[in-house]
Amino acid sequence: MKLYIGGAYQGQEELARAENPGGEYYPDFHETIRHAVLLQGQEPREFARRFCEEHPRAIVIANEVGAGVVPMEAADRAFREAVGRALCIIAQQAEQVTRCVCGIGVRIK
Amino acid sequence: MIVLVTGGSGCGKSTWAEKLIASLPEENRIYIATMQVYDEESVRRVARHRAQRADKGFRTIECEKDLASADVPEGSIVLLEDLVNLMANEMFDGGDTGRIVPALHGLAEKCRHLVMVTNDVFSDGVAYAESTQGYLRQLADINRQAADLADCVVEVVYSIPVAVKGEVPCV
Repeated sequence: MKLYIGGAYQGQEELARAENPGGEYYPDFHETIRHAVLLQGQEPREFARRFCEEHPRAIVIANEVGAGVVPMEAADRAFREAVGRALCIIAQQAEQVTRCVCGIGVRIK
Repeated sequence: MIVLVTGGSGCGKSTWAEKLIASLPEENRIYIATMQVYDEESVRRVARHRAQRADKGFRTIECEKDLASADVPEGSIVLLEDLVNLMANEMFDGGDTGRIVPALHGLAEKCRHLVMVTNDVFSDGVAYAESTQGYLRQLADINRQAADLADCVVEVVYSIPVAVKGEVPCV
């Protein structure tokens, strides 16, 4: 399992695809987390643990969404928190974590 | 050792900061809690943090404002969580933001080890109203002064510590 993250439009998806041709990609995973946690009511860590078990070869691609002012709306706060909690689990499970800044990948794990 | 830990929301910075403290001698551990508890969400947050550090031997000091007033004995190992709440309390609840940095210096001199947690709230690109911009400016300034004071600055990215200043301490 590999994780590619970055701010919006930082090139994490292009990099993930270039570095892992033919991989099992999960792009926009922050939206997958939003769906699972906010719409389906799953617990973010549990969701992430199960995902890791079921998709051990996944190439997970996500936006970093937690580095802004705490939102006024509770649902927005819950979204950022959920993405953080879930991606912590995925980062721990991944053998490699790459953060993309202006299209450049920085290997942080 | 003085460490500043930063990161986005839910990135695992508290967990990492606690792990760092747990790697230090098990004596005189103090947790300075700055968050005001005012609604159900903050009650849950406090409960989660308390559970997280329950077995790590911390004595908790509640200090929402005026950090210098926290009764921290000489030679303590302190986890200060966090600068964002402290700043908000000083700014929006009749405090004085000017006393934060001198208090950090005082703590740094007194403590054997000091771990300060802050939050990266600066990267959403939203143009906020002036009161929020003012808050961001002052918080950024305090973060920079705290970083200046620190031996190392660590950004936690989804549980992974990344060195910003100095080396990441081994935990």
